[in-house]
Amino acid sequence: MDINKVLNEATKEIEESSNQLDLQNVKVAYLGKKGKITELLKSLKDLSLDEKKSTGAELNQLRNEVDNLIKSKFNQIKVEEINSKLRNESLDYSFPPPNSISPKVHPISKTFDEVITIFGSMGYSVAEGPDIETDYFNFSALNIPENHPAREMQDTFYIDDKDKDGKPFVLRTHTSPVQIRTLLNEKPPVKIIAPGRTYRCDSDSTHSPMFHQVEGLFINENANMGDLKGTLIEFCKQFFNVQDLKVRFRPSYFPFTEPSAEMDIAYEIVNNKIKLGQGDRWLEILGCGMVNPIVLENCNVDTKNFQGFAFGMGLDRITMLKYGLTDIRSFFSGNLNWIANNGFSIGDF
Amino acid sequence: MKFSYSWLCEHLETDKNANEIGDALTNIGLELESLSDYSSYSKFVVATIKDFKKHPNADRLNICKVDDGADTYQVICGANNVKKGLKGIFAKEGMYIPGTQMNLKKGKIRGETSEGMLLSERELNLSDDHEGIIELSENFKNGTSAVEALKLDDPIFEIGITPNRGDCLSIRGVARDLSAKGMGKLKPLKYEKIKKLEFESPISWSIKNDDNSCEYVVSRYFKDVNNTKSPEWLQKKLISLGLRPINALVDITNFVTVDLGRPLHVFDADKVGKKLDMRLANSNEKILALDNKDYTLDVNSTVIADSNNALAIAGIIGGDHSGCTENTKNVFLEVAIFNPNRVAKTGRSLGINSDARYRFERGLDKNMVLEGLEYASYLINKICGGSVSKNTDAGKLDTNEHKIKYDFNYFNKVIGLDLEPQIQVKILKDLEFQINERSDNECDVLVPSWRNDVKNNIDIVEEIIRIYGYDNINVSVPSSSKDEINNVENSLVNKKFKTISKLKKTLVSNGISEVITFSFHSNRAQEILTGNTSLKISNAISDDQSFMRNSMIFNHLESAELNFKKGIKNIQLFEIGPIYNSSQSQENILSLLISSQDHTNSIYKSVNFNFYSLTELASKLISSLNFDIKQFNISRSTSNIYHPGQSAEVHMGKKLIARYGKVHPLIMEEFPKLKNTYAIELLFENLPIESISRINSINISDSQFQFSEKDFSFIFEKQQNLYEVQRYVTGIDKNLIKNVEFFDLYESKNLGDTSKSVTFRVTIQSKEKTLEEKDLEQLHKNILEKVSNKFKAKIRT
Repeated sequence: MDINKVLNEATKEIEESSNQLDLQNVKVAYLGKKGKITELLKSLKDLSLDEKKSTGAELNQLRNEVDNLIKSKFNQIKVEEINSKLRNESLDYSFPPPNSISPKVHPISKTFDEVITIFGSMGYSVAEGPDIETDYFNFSALNIPENHPAREMQDTFYIDDKDKDGKPFVLRTHTSPVQIRTLLNEKPPVKIIAPGRTYRCDSDSTHSPMFHQVEGLFINENANMGDLKGTLIEFCKQFFNVQDLKVRFRPSYFPFTEPSAEMDIAYEIVNNKIKLGQGDRWLEILGCGMVNPIVLENCNVDTKNFQGFAFGMGLDRITMLKYGLTDIRSFFSGNLNWIANNGFSIGDF
Repeated sequence: MKFSYSWLCEHLETDKNANEIGDALTNIGLELESLSDYSSYSKFVVATIKDFKKHPNADRLNICKVDDGADTYQVICGANNVKKGLKGIFAKEGMYIPGTQMNLKKGKIRGETSEGMLLSERELNLSDDHEGIIELSENFKNGTSAVEALKLDDPIFEIGITPNRGDCLSIRGVARDLSAKGMGKLKPLKYEKIKKLEFESPISWSIKNDDNSCEYVVSRYFKDVNNTKSPEWLQKKLISLGLRPINALVDITNFVTVDLGRPLHVFDADKVGKKLDMRLANSNEKILALDNKDYTLDVNSTVIADSNNALAIAGIIGGDHSGCTENTKNVFLEVAIFNPNRVAKTGRSLGINSDARYRFERGLDKNMVLEGLEYASYLINKICGGSVSKNTDAGKLDTNEHKIKYDFNYFNKVIGLDLEPQIQVKILKDLEFQINERSDNECDVLVPSWRNDVKNNIDIVEEIIRIYGYDNINVSVPSSSKDEINNVENSLVNKKFKTISKLKKTLVSNGISEVITFSFHSNRAQEILTGNTSLKISNAISDDQSFMRNSMIFNHLESAELNFKKGIKNIQLFEIGPIYNSSQSQENILSLLISSQDHTNSIYKSVNFNFYSLTELASKLISSLNFDIKQFNISRSTSNIYHPGQSAEVHMGKKLIARYGKVHPLIMEEFPKLKNTYAIELLFENLPIESISRINSINISDSQFQFSEKDFSFIFEKQQNLYEVQRYVTGIDKNLIKNVEFFDLYESKNLGDTSKSVTFRVTIQSKEKTLEEKDLEQLHKNILEKVSNKFKAKIRT
């Protein structure tokens, strides 16, 4: 019996099998119950003990070899079959997707978030007031009497509806009425910021009839003008992310603060862009001052024991400065391209 | 306010230059807005037109030979005042021309070379005058710089004066404030009192029925004056401020207004009666004012009148009829103190912004009434000659000076700076406050007559720190206390802003962009949405912004239309902001709009967005706030914003939490380009904020035992609310029924108009064991029976 001959024949037949069925037939023909190798193994029983031992070993080796060949061929056939199936499932990776606009958060939202966070870390809670205000809260309580020239510093929108004093409601021209509302509701110490919408009838590239401000108010026993300076410098450093920040405070006038100041930040033009922090030009950032005792008295605050400061700044303005945006009207145009270009994705919000 | 350096120096003896003065002005609260600097104009020089001839190819152009002292140039010039020997200002090719903001190019004009340009005032930004080129006197040598020739070495300051500083609406006032800052010494006013007041004024005053609007008026009568053009010094001064010289009398009043801040008025004495009144205007009284406009007055305005006519609107503007012209021979000069409130109110209601009104409504220095009278008399007499009457007056000048008891320590407490009393006192004295009764801690401060704004201790503090310098205030950053940080953490408003941020993140990660639109909407929006009509903006900028919005839907549709026009086909946007229900009720809501127009891409087919996709989105948003839409009562929306058959409302008790749906076709008629448009409004402020801010809120039961699913089909009445069915089924066995999911809805004629067939899948799972077949069958049977009984539903097999 020629074991090699069987092995050669089996190898050839395995090689020639092109699918799982052919291979299965080969397997049966050699390793099946009546297969050639099985038959050979059966015939061992007629041999002598010595022959049994040597031939048996050879036959077992033959069976293992054929079995391995079949298994390996089987895997080969299976891979080919899957590959051929996948080839038929192929799609065109090069077909471009439709254009879509990337969804973003409005830059003002980012500023709101940052302002609330920075002042929050300094202990300022957020307070609110309505956009439609009474004449009293928006003006008189803030020491801006009727017919006072200071009223003409701001162009006011009026609403047809009248308040209980018979005066038309106004769209708040600043967030300062929240100072009054808060002080009437809470006993000092008070430490709040009030971000929100404000309105003046004015419209050009730097003025929008609607814009955003944040008010700040800190009243306790001894908050002084040095604290005011420190607080605002610290805020600007954090918000504009400039540690080496040159600022100046200069005297100004707001009826509800005394002394009043405006804060400027130094800047220079580098490569046609505004660079904040250094230089010999100045940008006005905000108005502030020590709360006028007249205002505190209007809110029944005991001015012998309490004093403090207030500030107000334009959120659109600081957003424009921080990100180099130029036309405030585009903020409120609802233009999704503008939002996609200037807004923030959630990772950055 | 504008003034020149040299004019300032007539009041202030100073060795400081213009830049130093400019810095000081800002530092004391008189903000420098601009300081003109013409030093770069020294490159432009005086040159003579030696000869000229017509341009061969252009009628209106001339070819000039121009000599600048060093060389001769050919210049093409179109000015109509070109003449031989004219001396003008010459710019060579390549130079930057400030008025045109361009560099002068060498080139040919209609075929003839031009090597430079003779300049007009507009090309030098000196005025709007572009009538012709500048003509200088023959005395200037060619080559002299323009700065010297045009006297541009006198810098012009422009400063902003805050409403409290009426005292600085004059050059003298500014000089006085600068001297307190140590920028120089205030000079005494240079004039002489009229030596001889020769006669009684033939015109007299009375103040009656004026409702206290005139406190005091004083006048003089000038006989036989010669009202010519003003002398050159006066004209130049006015021109330097951008004022037009008219005639000597008018120019003098304008000059005194600016120089001393004292408005005054001159009447042509021959055009007014002998008895003048200060009185309230009659209803509908008319006056033609000096600005050549007719004004109709009401009974709240004060006028100066003779027995026939109103002659002037008090403190605001004179009348045309009684004004001085070059023919005026006799003059009546009026100096008065008017109530600032009334001047402001009248000025505003008539819409007149005059220099006089501006000063009166900010309050005047009462001690300047008589000095102003003397100063103006001196100028009139000197320039126009004639003789001067004695004073005639009415009313009483109340110059009670204001006294404040001032506490030195108050400064230190407010400013956070220990400033010794003697320094404080020195600053106050420099500001011409008088200090009396001084002790260690306090003193009496007598406020100067021109500082009407200084009334209280805090005003004194401001005066001291203004001069001492804000830069000298120590900077300190107050640390935040534990209490404050707790307040921040517990503040409901802070929590609300966190909720808003959370919503924004959810929306953006769902592909929706944030917009911010105006709080207003249009007339048309108001009409269609029938909002509260009392929310009309009385002085709206336009019809598009005339009402406070009661919904954002119109603004968002307008935005969608704008974006559609820009080529964006699938629009998804949201806004979180206020809507207004009445003048005393506003709420922040989330409003989102989805408008998908484009389904042409056959490869990237997106599922057509529909009402059910919208419901899913609404449910997701509510989940992001830790609530489950299925907890709420859900019904058809009754809002006129939505399609009545494709919309829903979500309520918690009586509170509206959300509404959503396809936008009503009647609204969409206004936006014909937009199709398939849906909106959601989420009134998140109506949800309890504490629940929204909980961190671990979702409680999903988890079991390791095998689950079983079973589908049920029923025929319900068409009106049946399926959320109710879902809640009911879930409640049949709370321990075993884990999930009830609706997945098929079928309506057809076979079922009739009043029925619908609905299929849902119930997931059953125990936390304790794997359920046996008989347990499951019992539960299935139970569900079938109970649902069909409860809802009168037919079981569908």
